[in-house]
Amino acid sequence: MDKTIVTVTMNPAVDIQYVVPDFRPGRWFRASEVDRSAGGKGINVSIILQQLGYESAAMGFLAGFSGEYIRDTLRRLKLTTNFVNVIGESRTDVYIVDEVGHIETGVAEAGPYISDEALHRFMKNFDRILSRARLVYLGGSLPPGVPQDAYKDLILRCKEAKVPVFVDAFGPALTAALEGVPRVVKFDHRFLFSTLGYPMGDLDDVLELVSKIHDSGVEWSVTTYRAVGNIFYTPEGIYLVDIEREEKEQMVSLLAIGDALMAGLMVALLENMDVEKAIRFAQACSLEDTLHVKKGIRGRDMVESLMPKILVEKLD
Amino acid sequence: MLVGDLMDRDLTSLGEDATLMEAIEVLSRHRIPGLPIVDAEGRVVGFLSEKDIVRAALPGYIDLLEDPSYVPDMGQFKVRMKRASMDSVGRHMTKEVVCLSTNDSDFHAALIMIKKNLKRAPVVKEGILVGVVNRADIIEHLMSE
Repeated sequence: MDKTIVTVTMNPAVDIQYVVPDFRPGRWFRASEVDRSAGGKGINVSIILQQLGYESAAMGFLAGFSGEYIRDTLRRLKLTTNFVNVIGESRTDVYIVDEVGHIETGVAEAGPYISDEALHRFMKNFDRILSRARLVYLGGSLPPGVPQDAYKDLILRCKEAKVPVFVDAFGPALTAALEGVPRVVKFDHRFLFSTLGYPMGDLDDVLELVSKIHDSGVEWSVTTYRAVGNIFYTPEGIYLVDIEREEKEQMVSLLAIGDALMAGLMVALLENMDVEKAIRFAQACSLEDTLHVKKGIRGRDMVESLMPKILVEKLD
Repeated sequence: MLVGDLMDRDLTSLGEDATLMEAIEVLSRHRIPGLPIVDAEGRVVGFLSEKDIVRAALPGYIDLLEDPSYVPDMGQFKVRMKRASMDSVGRHMTKEVVCLSTNDSDFHAALIMIKKNLKRAPVVKEGILVGVVNRADIIEHLMSE
């Protein structure tokens, strides 16, 4: 039987995007457009992988009405799911997109409490699916009750099964995950600076930080640089990646752009693309996701057409 | 249409070593009438339905009786249920499971489910659980055509 990609979303959410031109706090607005979708990093990655032509199995915890909405949405998308249902309510995250001011405002909930029994059941499911996994993605926040080193635990299980892991997290969950040494890690350097107590610095500081992560054994790391650009630390060197200015002006929503990037990078590495092409492909997935309110990409051909718009500079 | 196209790709399942208590919680939280029981690699080795759980709390002779008035009162049933709740799922599951294949036709799936009076059947690919088909899935599929 073919091996599958596994995505883990410990704290899924219903993402609601309201488009509100000229949004300002303290006033009452009527949204000109609404997009409601199943979300959380791993779920977003699963949806985008499907749009890129790859099957995956989404795992994690679901609760309440929001959990039912998420499961039903994924069922209708014909995605494989293996969630543990718990008491409480899965998160609802609200994003307000201001098309005039080009500003996005977000409010996120904490998520349901996960009991030891539920976590134990999840781990059993994870071990079972690991026997037929080709790649594992761990992403997003940890809900209350889940230990901060849960990602590290999962990474070590993957290593034992010789399955490569991609991680996109922040805060203590990320620092613990780094101890497990995943193959690919994506992070917002501002979170890592604050977690590790480093002063926020310039590009050299970011590069020093990323080099340390790379030296610990992480093959690939991606960190945000400026608003939509990224620094890719790869086995073949460091790349500064940006987007052509005219494309930046077309951007509508930043929701799930990091997830699109990670899904693109997974596909690129599974297809053995060379480093520079892999970077272009991943960043083009992210760019395509920004060009419309609806989360995700509109197809692989659209992504490929954007690859020439990606500016890649290899640093000495 | 093939079963692989209409199935619900949900892998909710338990191992044989799980307790009936755990199974009751999963059935309740997921609002499903039964679930596949799998081995460490995800191969289907049994199926546990609500009926199997109820049967676990009833005296062994109950199958021989046609009149349900012989069923003990709720108090006794509760005591027996609590006692059975720590039993392993493997002890009470149905071992001869009716599984569908992803390549089976919708017509074949409908016939099997009617014939065997199944609400929910596991779908396997090379023996590994890849989804489930519910009666409602088939009805929804027929009505949407």
